[in-house]
Amino acid sequence: MTSVDLLTRRTWLRRSALMTTGMSLSGLLGRLAAQAAEDPRRKRSCILLWMAGGPSQLDTFDLKPTHTNGGPFKEIATAASGVKISEHLPQLARQMNRLAILRSMRTREGDHERATSHLRTGYLPQGPIRFPSLGALVSNELADLDADLPGFVSVLPQGAFSQSAVAAGFLGSSHAPLVVAGSGETLKVEDLKPPSVSAQRSHERLELLHTMEASFLASRRGTGTTSHVTAYDRAVRLGRKAAARAFDLSQEKDRLRDQYGRSLFGQGCLLARRLIERGVPFVEVTLGGWDTHDNNFEQVKSLCGVLDPAWATLIEDLKDRGLLDSTLLVWMGEFGRTPGINPRNGRDHYPGAWSVVLGGGGIKGGQTIGRTSKDGSTVEDRPVSAPDLIATICLALGLDPKKQNLSNVNRPIRLADPSCEPVKEVLA
Amino acid sequence: MVQGRIRILVLILIVGMSFVRSAVAGPRDAKELAARIDRRLENHWKAEKIQPAPHSDDAEFLRRIYLDITGRIPRPADAHGFLSDNSADKRGQLIDQLLESPRFAIHFANIWRAELLPEIATNREAGVFQRGFENWLRERFRAGVGYDQLVRELLTVPIAAKGQDAEPVLRDPERPNPLAFFAVKAARPENLAAAVSRSMLGIRLECAQCHNHPFAKWKREQFWSQAAFFAGLRKQGDGLFAPLTESADRHEISASWSGKLLQAAFLDSSTPKWQEGRGPRTVLAEWITSRDNPYFARAAVNRMWGYFFGTGLVDPVDDFRDDNPPSDVDLLDDLAHSFVESGFDLSFLIRGICLSRTYQRTSARTNPSQDNTRLPARMAVKAMTAEQFFDSLALATGYREDQDKGAARRQFLARFALASSVSEPETSVQQALTLLNGRFISWATDPEKSPTLIAATQTPGMSLAQRIETLYLATISRKPNPEELDHLERYVRRAKSNREAERLADVFWTLLNSAEFRMNH
Repeated sequence: MTSVDLLTRRTWLRRSALMTTGMSLSGLLGRLAAQAAEDPRRKRSCILLWMAGGPSQLDTFDLKPTHTNGGPFKEIATAASGVKISEHLPQLARQMNRLAILRSMRTREGDHERATSHLRTGYLPQGPIRFPSLGALVSNELADLDADLPGFVSVLPQGAFSQSAVAAGFLGSSHAPLVVAGSGETLKVEDLKPPSVSAQRSHERLELLHTMEASFLASRRGTGTTSHVTAYDRAVRLGRKAAARAFDLSQEKDRLRDQYGRSLFGQGCLLARRLIERGVPFVEVTLGGWDTHDNNFEQVKSLCGVLDPAWATLIEDLKDRGLLDSTLLVWMGEFGRTPGINPRNGRDHYPGAWSVVLGGGGIKGGQTIGRTSKDGSTVEDRPVSAPDLIATICLALGLDPKKQNLSNVNRPIRLADPSCEPVKEVLA
Repeated sequence: MVQGRIRILVLILIVGMSFVRSAVAGPRDAKELAARIDRRLENHWKAEKIQPAPHSDDAEFLRRIYLDITGRIPRPADAHGFLSDNSADKRGQLIDQLLESPRFAIHFANIWRAELLPEIATNREAGVFQRGFENWLRERFRAGVGYDQLVRELLTVPIAAKGQDAEPVLRDPERPNPLAFFAVKAARPENLAAAVSRSMLGIRLECAQCHNHPFAKWKREQFWSQAAFFAGLRKQGDGLFAPLTESADRHEISASWSGKLLQAAFLDSSTPKWQEGRGPRTVLAEWITSRDNPYFARAAVNRMWGYFFGTGLVDPVDDFRDDNPPSDVDLLDDLAHSFVESGFDLSFLIRGICLSRTYQRTSARTNPSQDNTRLPARMAVKAMTAEQFFDSLALATGYREDQDKGAARRQFLARFALASSVSEPETSVQQALTLLNGRFISWATDPEKSPTLIAATQTPGMSLAQRIETLYLATISRKPNPEELDHLERYVRRAKSNREAERLADVFWTLLNSAEFRMNH
C-alpha cells in the first residue's frame, strides 16, 4: 500500500466513521476548537506506576519509626524539607521536591480484584456497567486517533488482558490498552511482527485482504466494519518502522539503561518515557510482588531496590528532555498494608489508611498531604477516597472530572464519581 | 393386543414429550408467528416509506443461523449439504435441526450465563463458578424446560435453613450449580433484587437503590421491598465461597439509607400472600413467572428479539420504562402473548423469529431508507462473543483443544471478550495484531501444520478453484463469486508452482482476517 493509498483510505475511513457512527459534526468541531484553544503546553501525559498487590505505606512513604508497628526500617531526610521517607528509597529522596505524598488514602475494598477495579476506574463494580480504567479515560480525552501509536499502553500488566482493571470498558476497543509483555529480560508488544514471514509476503497478504474484503465493507458500512478497518490500519501502522522503533530499547544508551535498572520494571519505565516522548498520553508500568503477607521487610527492601532507581531515573530523564512539566506521575497500588505486623513477619491488606504519590506535571511537589495516626491505623487529617484521587488526577491532566461519557447502559457516567472532592492543595 | 398396547404406549410417550417440550405451540404456530411479525413490519415499511433489504441468499442465512443458534459457523460439509439441497423448506428444517442439536444448549447456556452472571467478566474469583452454572443451564435447555420453569428453579434453589448445616455454594466446579447465581451476587439482597429485576423483568431497578429513579416511576422503597424477598439469606463466612443459610420466615429488610424496616412487596404494588411452607423466594418466583406478570414475558421476548436483531424492540433490552417505549408495542405484546401461550417455550419463540422474512433479510444496505428505523429493515451486522468467535475459528482451522490443553482458547476468550454492544461490533488494535501476526494464526496458516490447509492443498485431484472454494466454505461458509475466484486464482498462479501451498495459505490467512469472518452478519 502506498502512502497515497493509505491517506485516501484513512480519509475515507474518517468520513465514513463520521457518517455511520452518528457522531455529530458540531461535536467534532467543538472538540477541534477546544483543542486549538488549548495552550499546547497544557496538553499532558500520564505515567502510572502500578504497584500490584498493595504496597506497604509503613515501609515506603509513611514510616512510624517510633511505634512498634513501624518495623525495622529507618526514615531518611529528602530534598524536600521536613519530608521523610524510607531509607530504601535513597535516589527518590533526592527527587522529593518534585513529588507529593498523599498519606491519607481511605478506601473500603480489601479484596485485590475489587480494590484494583475501584482504584483503577474510580468506581465500585456495579452490575453490568463496564467502567473504563484510568488509561482508557485519558486516552479518550487526549489521544490522537490518527497517530501511529495508541493512546493507552500497558507495560507488564499482570494476568489476563480481560481484567476490568486494564480494560477500556464502555469506551470501547479504540481505547483498549496495547499490551507490552515481558519475556526474559526484554519487553515487547505481543504479535507486533509476523513471525517468519518476509516483508514482501506480508505486504502481499495485506494487499490481498484489502482487495478481497472491499465489497463486504462497502455493503455493510457501519460501526463494525469501520472499527475493523481502523484497528487493522492502526495495527499495520504500528508494525511500521518508526512506530515499532518506539518499543526498541536498544536505541538507548547502555549507561541510561543501567541507571533505570536492568529489571523489567526499570526498562518498562524507560519505555514509558520513549512512548510519552512520542505523544502517547497514558502509559502504565506494573511492578508486582507487593502482596507481602510473609517476610514483608525483606520483600519490600528488595522491591524498593527495583523501584528506586527506575522511578528516580525516570524523573531525571523526563526533566532532561523537558517533559517533566507536562507528564503527571502517579504511584499507587490497590490498597496499603496493615500497620500491625503479623506472626509471619508480614503485613496484610489494609484499605483504611494508606499512601499514594503524585508528581511531575500539574503537581506541587515537595509536600505531604493528610496524616495518619501514630500507630498508622487511621486517617487523622484530609481523608482521600478513590473518586477524590481520580478527580485530582483529572485536574492535574487538565481534564474536567465532571465531564460525562455515555456508558454501555446508556447512562451518562462522569470521569470521576460525583461524590468526589479533588485534592486541590496538591495541584500546581 | 400387544400391538395395541405398544401403540398406546407410544401415544402416551409422544403426548408426554410434546407436553414437556411445548404445551400448546407446534411448528405451524411458529410459522404463523413469523407471518405476523412480517405483516407488522410490512405495515411499518409502507407507512414510513422504507424500502427493506431483499431476502438473504442461502449462504448468508446459513452462516447467520448457525452462529445465532449454535454459537459457531457451520462445518464445511454441513455448508455444502445445505447449499446443494433443493428442497423448498430447507431453512425451516435447518432451524428445527439446530434447535435440537447439543450446540444449541451449549451456546444458549453461555449467552444466559453472561447475562445472569456478568460479574465473571471482571472477577476471576467469580469465574470459578462459570462451568457449574453453564452446565446447569445446559442441562435445563437440553431437557427443554420452559423459560418460566427455568427461572423458578433458579430462584427457588434449595438453601439450608438457619440452624442447619450451611449450604456449600461450590462442591465440584463442573457440577451443575444454580446456587452460583446467589454466590456470585454475594447473597446480598440488593444485588439479587437488581439482577432479578434487570435480567428477568427488564427493569433497571438498581438506579433506585440509592435514589428515586430519575427517569422512571421506581421509588427507593420499591427497590428495597424487592430486595426484602432475599433478606433471609446469610453468608456463613467471608468471600464468594462462603456457604449459605436462609431464614425463610423473614421477608422484611432495613433499607440502607434510612434504616426503616420495609416489607417485601411486588413491583406492581400487589402484596404477597404468605403461607406456611412457602418461603419468600418461592413467593417471588411465582409472581415473576405467572402468566399475568406484566413484565416477565415481555422482557424475555424483547431480549430474544434484541439477541437476533441486534436491537431490542425496547432498547437497551433491559430498560423498560415509560419514556423508553418499544418501537412497536403491538408486536411486543403479540410476541409476549404467543410466548406465554406456548408455555414459555424458547424454541418456539426462536422458530417464530428465525422463520420470518424479517430475520432472513440480507445485512447488506441496499437503500438509505433502511437507516431510518429502529425496526430491522435489514439484518444488523452483529458482534460475536469471544466464544462465538473462537469456536468458529477453531472449526475453520481444525484446532482441537487437546493440542495445547486449551491455551489458545483461553487466550482468545480473554482477548476477544465482547466490549461493546452487539449492534456495534468493535475490533481493538491488540485483536488485529493477534489475528495478523499471532502464534495461533501462524499455526493455522502453516501449510504443513494446519489441518484445514493440509486438506485444501494436499487432497489429490482437486482443481485450484476447488481448493479455493474449500477455504471459502471453511471460513466464511460460502463459495467465492466468479470475480473473487478469478482474482485468487491469478494470485496463486502468479507465484512459482512449488509455492502454490504457500499462496493458498495466504488466501486462508486473508479469509481469517476478513471483516466477513469476524462478524455475524
